[in-house]
Parts: sequence; C-alpha cells; structure tokens
Amino acid sequence: MDKKPVIKVRGLYKIYRVGTNKVYALNGVSFDIYKGEFVAIVGTSGSGKSTLLNMLAGLEPPTKGEISIGGKRVDKMNERQLVSFRRDNVGFIFQSYNLLNTMNGIENVAMPLMFKGVSKSVREKKAEKYLKLMGVADQAKHMPNQMSGGQQQRIGIARAMVVDPKIIFADEPTGNLDSKTTMDVLSLMQKVVREQGKTLVMVTHDNTIAGYADKRIRIVDGKIVSIEYSERGTEIEGEETEKEEISISLGGNPGENSPEKN
Amino acid sequence: MKFSDLLRLSINNLKRRKLRTFLTVLGVIIGTASIVVMVSLGIGQAALQTESIESYASLTTIDVWQGSTMGDGSSEEQNYITDDVLKTFERIPHVTGTSPVLRTNVIAKQGVYEANLQLQGVSNEYLEQIEVGEGRLPLDEKKLEFLYGNTVIRDFMNSKTGDGYYSTGEEADVDLMGKAVFIIFDTSAYYQSQMPQSASQGSDAGQSSTKPPKKYIVPTAGIVKGSPDEWNQYSYSTYCNVDALKSQLKAIYRKEPIPGQPTDKKGKPLDYFVYDNASVYVDDMDNVKAVQDTIASMGFQANSNMEWVEQNKKTMQIQQAVLGGIGAVSLLVAAIGIANTMMMSIYERTKEIGVMKVLGCDMRNIRDMFLIESGFIGLMGGTAGITISYLVSFIINKLYIRNQIMNGYIMAGADTPGNISRIPVWLIIMALIFAVAIGMLAGFFPSRRAMKLSPLSAIRNE
Repeated sequence: MDKKPVIKVRGLYKIYRVGTNKVYALNGVSFDIYKGEFVAIVGTSGSGKSTLLNMLAGLEPPTKGEISIGGKRVDKMNERQLVSFRRDNVGFIFQSYNLLNTMNGIENVAMPLMFKGVSKSVREKKAEKYLKLMGVADQAKHMPNQMSGGQQQRIGIARAMVVDPKIIFADEPTGNLDSKTTMDVLSLMQKVVREQGKTLVMVTHDNTIAGYADKRIRIVDGKIVSIEYSERGTEIEGEETEKEEISISLGGNPGENSPEKN
Repeated sequence: MKFSDLLRLSINNLKRRKLRTFLTVLGVIIGTASIVVMVSLGIGQAALQTESIESYASLTTIDVWQGSTMGDGSSEEQNYITDDVLKTFERIPHVTGTSPVLRTNVIAKQGVYEANLQLQGVSNEYLEQIEVGEGRLPLDEKKLEFLYGNTVIRDFMNSKTGDGYYSTGEEADVDLMGKAVFIIFDTSAYYQSQMPQSASQGSDAGQSSTKPPKKYIVPTAGIVKGSPDEWNQYSYSTYCNVDALKSQLKAIYRKEPIPGQPTDKKGKPLDYFVYDNASVYVDDMDNVKAVQDTIASMGFQANSNMEWVEQNKKTMQIQQAVLGGIGAVSLLVAAIGIANTMMMSIYERTKEIGVMKVLGCDMRNIRDMFLIESGFIGLMGGTAGITISYLVSFIINKLYIRNQIMNGYIMAGADTPGNISRIPVWLIIMALIFAVAIGMLAGFFPSRRAMKLSPLSAIRNE
C-alpha cells in the first residue's frame, strides 16, 4: 500500500493521574488508516478505545504523541481550530443518537450545515437527499421522540454525512439497538463506505459487530495487540474494486504533504 | 452560523420550557413596571410643580432692577433703567422683547369708596401676556386706560367709615367697568389737603391748607381674568400703557419733579424717565439663565422664576433617583432570576451543548445563543412591563385626580390638573434597553459557562 494514510497516529499516550498513581489509558499507540477503509477499534470497556476515538476527533488532547488527519496535526490545534476542523472534516455517529429534541428529523440532519452558515433552503435540500439515502425520508417532519431507535440512528448517520466529511467517527453506534436493527445500521454504514467512499472509524466492544469492518484494531490496556484485515465477509470482498475507484478524491487535499515534513 | 438560525434556536429553547420562561419573564415584568411607574411619578411630580409655578408666574420673564451698589455714591451716574438700557437688553441673544415698569401710586375714587392703587405703566408686550376677564387690554399709546387686577376691588374702602374688605369681609360696592372711576395722581397733595380734616375730625372749622389736586376720569379698559379671591401675578396691580402714563404724568407735573423720579444735582427733573424695573422676555426657558447672567454682568439685579424652578429641579432629581432606585431593586431581583434560569437551562442542556460542539458549532455561537435567550427574556419582560406600567399609571392618575377633587383642591369639572404619573417616550426606550441589557448581563456568565463546557459530555453515555 503506497497510498498516503488519512489518519496517521504515532506514539500516542494518554496518562491520567489518579492521586499519586499514573493510569495509562493509551500506552504508545501507532497505526495508519487509509481512505475508504471501514475500521473498527475493538476492545473491552476500559481498554482505552473510547479515549483513542476522542483524541482522533480532537475532543481530548493527548498527553504525548502525534495525530495527523488529512495531513493536519490535530494534537497541535487549539479549541477553536478543532471546532472548525470537526465542522469541515468529521462526521459523528453517537451511541445514544443525540438528536436534538426540539428539532424534527430534517432539521437535525441539516444542523451541522446550519453551524456552517448555510441557508435554510439549501441545507434542507441536502438533508433531504441524505434522509432518502438512509431510507428515513418519511421521518423528515417527525420529532425524535416519535421515532424508533433504528430510525433515530439512521437520522444520526444522515447527519454525520451531510457535511460530506472525509472521516466519520462512530462511537458504539449499535449499542442501543436490537440485533435486527443493528444489522440494518451496520449494512448502511458499509454502504456509506462502499458507495460514498467515506472513511469510517467505529469503536465497539463486540467482536461480531467488528467483523463487519475491513480492518480491526484490537486494543487491550492501552496497547494495540493486533491489527486484522477482513478475509471472510463475502459481501465486502465483492465490492473491493469499486471501493478503490471511489477513493481517488483524497489526492487533492492541500495538507497532504505535511506528514512527510513532520 | 446565521443570526436568524441563532434566533430560532434560542426561541425554540424558550418555548420548550414555557412555564419557567413565563415565571422568569414575570420577574422582569414586575421589575420594569416598578421602575417605569416610579420614575414616571417622579417626572409627573416635577412637571406638576413646574406647571404650578408657570400658572402664577411666567418662566421666560426676567425681572431687572437697578444695580444697588453700582454708583457707590461716588458717581452720580446711577445705573438707571432707561429706554436706552432696554434697547441694549434687546440686543442680547434670545431676548424677544422688553418692557419697562413705571410704578406710581394713585388714588382711585368712586362714590364714597376710595383705594390706593399701585399703578404700573408697562409696554404692550407686557400687557399682552395678561389674560383679560372682562373688557380688553389698554393698548392705546395715546389714551390712558386702566386694566385692573381682579383682586383690586378688595382694596376699595369706605372713606367715611374706613371699612374695607379686609376689616368687614365685604367687597366694596364699586363698579369698575360700568361707572366712572376718578383717579388722583398727585397723592401727596391729596393727603396734604386731607390732613386738617383728619387731624381735627368732626370739627367743621377745618380748612384745607393746600388745594386738592385735580381728579381725572380714567376709562377702564378691562379687568384681569379671575374672581376677586383668585390670586395670580397680575391680580393685585393696575396696569396701563407706559407711554400713555408718561404723557399723563408730564401733563400733570409740568416742570415739577415727578415723585419717585430721580433729579439731577440742581434738583431739576431729568429729561428722561427712569424705570423702577423692567421685564425682559426670553424665547425659551432653557436660555433664561444665560440671559439673566448677561444682564447681571451689566450691573443690574436680575431675577427670574427659573432660579426657583432650578432649585425645585434639583430636589426633584434626588427624589427621582430614589424612586428609580427602589424600582431598580426589583429589576435586580429579576436579573438574579434570569441568571438562575439560564444556569438551570445550561445544566439541563449540557449534553445537547456537547453534541453541538462535537458537530462543529462554534463556541461563540453557543455563547450568543444563550445571550440571545436571556436578552429575549429581558425584551419580553420589558415590553410587557411597559404595557403594565401604562395601565398602572392610568389608574394612579385617575385616583390622584379623584382624590384632589374630594379634598377640594380643585373643583369637579374645572380644568383637570396635570397627571401625577407621566411616561415620556425616552423613559419607554430607556426601560426597554435597560431590560434587555439586564437580561443579557444576567445571561453573560451562564453563557460563558456553556461556551466552556466540554464536548466530551456528549460522548459519555450515562
């Protein structure tokens, strides 16, 4: 693989102080994630997988180490830069959906565009497109409390995609769903990666769910114990070529060269 | 983020907790209404006082008197008020006119009644400020006519018994308008002619040493508006045109010095008239002080009712500040209410704020959202508070007027006095701005807190 990684992590540490003890939430983690990959970060609770995701998304600063996303050093950004970085590059899918209860489906999807200052008519048109893609166009005018968990999470995925981000982070996206809906949502996420050429990083504790990803980064006690690539998922293999074709667009990223300099 | 979107988000949040929003707004309503009503009472009271001063004295008139110490005895050139001086007064900016006041005491007689009148010769400009009840103003410069003050009739006494209104309580049977009034200008000659008679009362042998002075019939032009028991600044004097009076006095005294007028070293009368005082009219109340100072710097004594009004204003301002302060306390309490509501709201929405931050909402936008929310509470409370204060003000005024009528200060059906509570436009605008500012100020610290909330709280699953 001579492609440049979208996410490059080198020697990442996160150390919490509990009294006089040092707790290593992350203990020297290094890995690369390439464009168009569906990556699962797998680990038991307390393994540091959520901490890793938070740091990738710039929600938590690392104690030590280097995180580059699309060639930009996330660990060096201040809070304001991080906000605009997230706004332009990152989509988020939450375990508990985190839809705003005061807004209906379409408004929730359009919300990240609102933060960008896109006008109402433009953003709702775009939101509608993603609602259709996720198969929840009929929920556009419903409030979140009128929807099922699966519907809410589809809205959540649409919301993550509406800004056309380079990377989508998903924190236990199926954690609150029953097994059937879990499968629906997972196949939707696969579809996003395959058809939209997105890079998706998912955190989960469940090996079965992690099996739907192309690549699994296993974390135990803040260390990567293995990185596995998927061999079995037939539906994944069959679409591999298509995935490669879509992934060209990243080449134009202006910050692409900076990882070499660092 | 667009402002319209921010506004919509904020309003949605306020709608979400209707009761809480309402209660918080209620606090602001009470606060704003109490400030507005309190200040309106202060303003009303001050205005009432100014109006009552205005009703018996003009506020744009300056009374000028001779400078008392100017000559200091060393120079015979006294600081007299003459026609030339008046002309210089007229050249002072903002002065619209002047009037000399030539005072002389005359005796008026009708039948057995006689009165000592204080006659004031004034210009037509002066006369035109007087409201006439009966008849008209004596504006003719050639013909001497009198305008009697409305309480002058009480000065007439029965010359036989010496009884007048002030001893018997009965007004003399004098008809100033209908019957001829005889006027004696040379009062000293008159008293001299009366002397022996009064010295040896009852004796027939009395013979006057001096010839009684000539009596003149002076036609009555009119009477000042008002009944004999209504007092005002024109009620107690008798007025006539100054030029007509001057020619009359010259005709009477010829070469003799006119009483009250100064003479030169040789005891000869001056060839011009010296006035006791003068009135200077100013175009606006606000310019009175400046003109007054100019006149004073020219060596004259200048008085105006503005000094009185100014004094009053100072007292009233203190009173207004105290009243406003009382009102402000309740708005302060309302501000604490707003701050509390905003804090509650932020705790409740911690997760939501976190989600917004994770999804890329600018921190400043989050702060602005909360500021708009609290400002909106202020705006709603302010608007409703002003509406309510209009209502309260209306009720206070109604009660005040009824109370005045009941206590007999004013007669029912008569001109209603001014309102005790007045709400000028500036007060409305200030109150609205103040309410919004208080709201935003109260929301400032909570909004900063919201801004600084960690986005991690959104990720945490409870």
